[in-house]
Amino acid sequence: MKITLVKKILADGSPCAKCGDVLDKLESSGQIKQIDEIIVADERNPESPGARLARDLNVERAPFFVVEWDDGSQTVYTVYLKFVKEVLGGQNSAADEAREILENSNDLDFL
Amino acid sequence: MASETIATVDLDRKLQEESPQAILEYALAQFDEIAISFSGAEDVVLIDMAYRINPDLHVFSLDTGRLHPETYRFIDRVREHYKIPIDVLFPDAGTVNKLVREKGLFSFYRDNHQECCSIRKVMPLKQKLLTLDAWVTGQRRDQSPNTRAHLPVIQDDRAFSRPGETLTKFNPLSNWSSAQVWDYIRANEVPYNELHDRGFVSIGCEPCTRPLGPNQHEREGRWWWEEATKKECGLHGANLESK
Repeated sequence: MKITLVKKILADGSPCAKCGDVLDKLESSGQIKQIDEIIVADERNPESPGARLARDLNVERAPFFVVEWDDGSQTVYTVYLKFVKEVLGGQNSAADEAREILENSNDLDFL
Repeated sequence: MASETIATVDLDRKLQEESPQAILEYALAQFDEIAISFSGAEDVVLIDMAYRINPDLHVFSLDTGRLHPETYRFIDRVREHYKIPIDVLFPDAGTVNKLVREKGLFSFYRDNHQECCSIRKVMPLKQKLLTLDAWVTGQRRDQSPNTRAHLPVIQDDRAFSRPGETLTKFNPLSNWSSAQVWDYIRANEVPYNELHDRGFVSIGCEPCTRPLGPNQHEREGRWWWEEATKKECGLHGANLESK
């Protein structure tokens, strides 16, 4: 299994807030060791590796994770807590995961 | 997964040209475990369209416990009008109880609506979607030019999919305007929520919904006390180009 994290860099060179938060959590939990590669989607460069990967995979938000499984299949995770639970075997509350989903999807609350 | 993603994108390009009815017909033909999400507002047109394709519908509605009495009456009227079951979903009582005990019944006015919506809408929605292969929403681009400008007709729903599986989301009304929806409702005598006659455009929970005045956008009828959400994590082309 290979795990790639794509993070976004803003026009001023700083990471997006959510990317920074996710990286902090991965560092503090030690789970960062399980991330094989971190690539950048740079606002200043549409051809940056992360931006190109986002286009290829039709992903609209960062951060996101791409998991390449041993059988050659690939799964994209756009919800950090879902990724932690399903790939890293971590625990999280259903309410926290729902909150993250809603924060990532500005239109869900209109349902 | 990569090939499925590409297929969905290609399919979206094709279905963008189709009518909502044609998109629904495609969706209902492709999936057995598919359901329509019904909010109790003008998305009732989806039920009417789908009913004409196949009356054996699977419809669900999220009852947050805070809807208007008019909306509850409307949901029941739709059930009786089309003679279809509507799966009314409720939030987890213990989680709601914890929120209310700690923060009261109106915490969304002080904090924001995200926590309450997560518990009352997203959690039950997630549980429901774990049982489905596809779902249908009434979301439209014109409901919010900022956040829905890129709303596809068909998409991979990665947030709610079961582990190792895909979930497909259809938005057949994506390219329709509010005016087209209301033309359809009137032309086909589709039942509608009586709140619309009292100036409500977008209808959600009672404490978070208000009627609108002339020339107000429908978004102004919901969570009006909050500032517009920042979207700095967005990866749309506009966020990446020319910066």
